[in-house]
Parts: sequence; structure tokens; C-alpha cells
Amino acid sequence: MNNAMKKVRPAVAFMYAFLTLIALVSAFPFVWMALASTNKSVDIVRGRFFFGLNLLENWSALFSAYPMASSFLNSLRNAVVGTIVSLFVCSLAGYGFQVYRDKAKDRLMAVLLLSMMVPFASVMIPLFRMFSQAKLLNTTLGIILPSVSTAFLIFFFRQNSAGFPMEIVQAARVDGLSEFGIYLRIYVPVMAATFAAAAIIQFMGVWNNYLWPLIILLKKEAQTLPIMLVSITSGYTTDYGILMLAVTISTLPTVILFFTQQRRFVSGILGSVK
Amino acid sequence: MMKKGSFLGLALALGAVLVMTACSKQEAAAPAAATAVSDAPVTLTVWCWDPNFNVYAMNEAAKIYQREKPNVTVNVLDITDIEQKITTALSAGEMADLPDIVLNQDNSIQRFVQTYPDAYLPLNGKVDLSKFAEFKLDVGVYEGKNYGVPFDNGATATFLRRDIVEQAGFQVSDFNDITWERFIELGQVVKRETGVAMVSTVAGSSDFIMLMLQSAGKWFFDDEGKVTIKDNPAVVEAIKTYKALVDSGVLLQAADWNAYIATLNNGTTASTIQGCWIIGSITPATDQAGKWAVVNTPRFANVDSVNYSSQGGSGWMVFSSSKHPDIAMDLLNKTFAGSTELYETILPSSGAIGTWLPAADSPVYSEPHAFFGGQKIYEDLVDYASKVPRVKYGVFNYEARDVVGRAAAAVLQGASIDAALDEAQKYLEFQIAE
Repeated sequence: MNNAMKKVRPAVAFMYAFLTLIALVSAFPFVWMALASTNKSVDIVRGRFFFGLNLLENWSALFSAYPMASSFLNSLRNAVVGTIVSLFVCSLAGYGFQVYRDKAKDRLMAVLLLSMMVPFASVMIPLFRMFSQAKLLNTTLGIILPSVSTAFLIFFFRQNSAGFPMEIVQAARVDGLSEFGIYLRIYVPVMAATFAAAAIIQFMGVWNNYLWPLIILLKKEAQTLPIMLVSITSGYTTDYGILMLAVTISTLPTVILFFTQQRRFVSGILGSVK
Repeated sequence: MMKKGSFLGLALALGAVLVMTACSKQEAAAPAAATAVSDAPVTLTVWCWDPNFNVYAMNEAAKIYQREKPNVTVNVLDITDIEQKITTALSAGEMADLPDIVLNQDNSIQRFVQTYPDAYLPLNGKVDLSKFAEFKLDVGVYEGKNYGVPFDNGATATFLRRDIVEQAGFQVSDFNDITWERFIELGQVVKRETGVAMVSTVAGSSDFIMLMLQSAGKWFFDDEGKVTIKDNPAVVEAIKTYKALVDSGVLLQAADWNAYIATLNNGTTASTIQGCWIIGSITPATDQAGKWAVVNTPRFANVDSVNYSSQGGSGWMVFSSSKHPDIAMDLLNKTFAGSTELYETILPSSGAIGTWLPAADSPVYSEPHAFFGGQKIYEDLVDYASKVPRVKYGVFNYEARDVVGRAAAAVLQGASIDAALDEAQKYLEFQIAE
């Protein structure tokens, strides 16, 4: 026992040293981003890596020259609504594919997965036309509708449902619970970890989505954060202090969501059902 | 049955909600009837992209115009990635949500007009275009009609660190009216004496080659739009010169745009040769105040060319979907094509140098600039702009820049110029034929 411990120790020490190094490398861009948001643009370009005194100036310039507050709220609304609707639709589909499984549905699933290979750029123009004619430009519905049902999330829910015990479903049916009741009262609570992981994936997807919102949001008031970030860099001269502050703020919701759901996220990705 | 029924009901309810939302939006977005009465309130929408530069300039123009036409409101929007948005809307044939006026990069005005010929209105007879620098007007001409009102000036210059070249034993004036060969000779001395690279650029960008070509009045296409890359003496000379700049160690290649700006702010380069809009990125380094100077752009020694060129710049265009095209054109005519006051207002606060030549007579343009050691740089830059040779960028300008940029990179890595340009020519012809 003692010998074994001694043998393990250098390996553990090495592992920790290695992981610390990787953690530093991963954290560096975030630290730099946060520090840069307190500095003047010219100091950032010169590579200053320390707290500066320009945070308040960057802050007031960002909020006065750019629609920071409205872009943030738009992004947040789109991401929250988009995530909730999408989780509902995709989990229901994934549940259906698994619980009412038969050969035809498996084939349908294969076709669905093929749709992941169609690049968005190839459907963008017809999609724009449809949305323009349906007067959905500049609306939350217009932004979230194309990504409400994604083959990836349906597949994700179906795969994770493989471990969902069918005996519970049958027992619930005997007890007279409706099919939708089984989904809502039993499946959803049991699959909480999967929902958390899917929520993070979908939230990040909608939050960071650029191309589709860019082309359908033609009004300033509807603009989202990623679009605003690009607009900061689109002039002849970029103020990196303002840019870094805006990027820092735009990272926060995803960071908060991830850290509060971290434990569930990991177990959801691993696909465990307790 | 009940179970399936409730499930189906839910799905239907969800669908109904979506449809109802769609319908209510449809009613709200119904366009108001257009009126032709001149005193009725009119709102024009304008798309551009830089709050401190063109958005600001258009807002100032709107203020001037409103003194004469108080019924006109101009809604200036700072729009991201305008070209992508417009391309999608025009490809889909949905113009209802496009603005009345849009600012377009000079590089792609002809491309848009040729690809979507009915989407833009010709300005001839509505806007007085006679007083702009000729090369700026040419970028907006398609089939003999003008589609662009020139806005900002892309005239190039050599922005030079006075202190560094003086430390190497030169005067600023030694860099004026010179050839690229001379520039390289001087640069080698500067590098030897001070350890600082003479000039910097973004690695892999074709900016240098473009500005060299325009200084010779040549581009990648002839008048009929045929590709002329491989037997074009100006292209050959530009690539040779670019290679010489790199091989001599005079040119510092920065990894990306930010690193390039850092070479200016950090003093790791003695100059930059760029469109005059680069001033906005030079002047924030306040500790370098008084140390900079402006001279004109080097020219070729062996190919007919001048010490003037252009890089970047943009122009205003009017969409045919505009409900008030005459008012939109009148706005442009009375401000960007007719108001010295506008150019006097926007120059000091945004550095937006116009190409409307009468503005250069304004005293504001002859103010000495302290950051550039008291030099009257605006007067000089407008003078440069008036001498830039005219070229036709053409429809496939972006594609041409890409293939020539790749050819230049291949030459830097040892490929022969003839072979690289031959391949570039074939590749571009193939792309155009597609």
C-alpha cells in the first residue's frame, strides 16, 4: 500500500503540474480580455498586461456610442426564448424517437441526421425570402425559428434516452398517466442532466449566432450582441478598449450559465441517467 | 385516444401561436402610403458603418439639409457587414427592407451595380458630380452612368517617422517624389542605422500591389473586362517590387491587422504607406506627437506611373426601392456634392477627408496639424487625391485581388513570377467563366 502510494505520487504531481499549465493557457485569453477592458486602446495594441485606469471611460464610450444595453437585452431574450422552445421541441422529438421506436422512425432519424450536412449558407437566401414574405424580419421569432429544431439536439436527446427505463413508462401507463404526462412528469425530471447540457449547447448556439441574425435583423433596435461586436471593429479605426469591454460583458451570461450548471453539464455530456 | 389527442392538441396550439405571431407582425409592418407632397414629413433611411466617421458625417449632412427642408428626417444607421446583408436581400429579390441610401466600398460599387442592375438608381442629372476627384467618380461608373457619390478619400501617402529617418541621416523631403528602388535603398540605410524596419504591412495582404498598380493607372482588367494579369507590365513590376521590399528586409510583415497597427504605435516601423484614413490609427499614440510627417507615395522606375494612388474609400448609392428617390438624391446633391460647410465640420472632428475638390479651398483644410509637426497635411492629401490615376476596378475585383495576392505569396516562396501570374490568370478566367 505504502509502496504503491510512493509510486503514484510523482505521476500525480506531474499530472497536476500539466493540468495547471493547461488551465493557465486556457484562462489566459479571458484574463487578458478582462485586463484589456480597463486599458486605453493604444496601450492594448502595445501589449500592456496589467490593470489600467480607463475602465470607466471605456464603459461610458461603449454605452454612449453603441446600443450596448439594447443589444444585450435582445441577445438575452432571443437566447432564453430560443433555448426553452428548442429544448421542448427537440426533447419531445428525441423522446418520441426512442420510446415509440420502430424501423421507420430509425430511417427517419437517419434522414434527419443527413440534414446536418447541408451548409446553412446554401439555404440562407430561400430562407430569407420566406421570412421576408412572412414579415418575420426583425423579430425574435424570426431569429429562433430556423434553429428551434436541430438534428443534433434531437439526436442528443434520443441517444441519452437510451438509458431511460421503459418499465417506468409502462408502469405509468398502467396507472393511467397520459403519454404527454409521462414525458412531462417523469421523463423531464429524470433527464435533468441531459436538459442542462442541451440548454448550455443551445444557449451558446443562439447567443453566439451571427450570420442569420445579421441578415434578418435590418433594424438597429433589433440588433444582437455579436453583430454589435463586429460593428465596433468595422471602422477604419478600432478602439480596442471599448471592444474588449464589450466582449467581456458578452461572455458573462455563458460563463454564469456554465458555472452554475457545470456538474450537470458534465454528467449530461457523459450521458448518465441516475 | 385521449392521450394522442392531448399530444396533438398541444402541437396544434404551438403551431397556432407561431402563425398568430406571424400574422400580427404582418399587420404592424404594412408600409404607409407614400406621398409626393413636398412638405409632407419624409423619413430617409441611410446605412453606413462607422459611428465616428461615416455615420457622424451623414448625421451632420442631415442637419445641414434640414435647415432647408425641415420636413425631412434622416435616420442614419450603423449597420454591420452591409455587403452581406445587401447581397442576401437582393439575391432573394426582397428589397422592401433596404434603406434609401447606402454607403458602399469603392472596391465593390461596380460589382453590385452589374450584378443587380435594377437595384440602384443612376445619379446623373440629379446630383452634381462635376467637382469630385476624377478617379473617385470612375469607381462608381457602370455603362456610362454614375451610381456613386464619392465620400471619403482613400488617397495614399507615405506616413513617415520624422525622428527615425533623421536619426539615420535623412530629411523627410528625401522621401518625397521617389521611386520604389530609391525607397528600398533609403530603407536599408534606415534599418542599418536605427535597427527599425522602414515600412510595415499585413503579411499576405495584397494592399501594396494594389496601390502600386493604381499609381500606374492599371488594373487586372482591360476596358472590355478581359483579365490582363500575366502580360501586364504593371502587375509584373508590382510583384517584383514587393519581393524586393521583402528580400531587402525593408518591409516588416505583421501577422494581422492589429499587429500592423501595433508596429505604428510601438515605433517598430519608420513609416507606413497607406490610404489617408490610417491617420485615425496613428494619432492615438499621443507620445509620438510631432514626430510624424506626410510625403507622397513611391512610384515605379521602369513602368509609367506617378507618386499618387488610392486605397479604400467609399461612396453613397441610392436604391431603386426608395420611396423618395428624388429627395434622397437632393440630400446628397446639397451636402456631399455641394456643401463646403459639411466638409469643414467633419474634417476636424472625424478626420474624414472628402474628395469634393472645392472643399480644399476652405481655411479648415489649410490648418497645420500639430501631430504631424505643423505640416498642412489635409491640403497635401487633397492635392494627392486630385492626381490619382483613374482605374476601373470592375466586377471581379475581389476575386482578382485574391488570386494576385496568392501569386505574390507564391513568388515570395520562390516560384517564378511568370509561372505564378500565368496560373493566376487562368484561375481568374476560370472563375469568371463559371
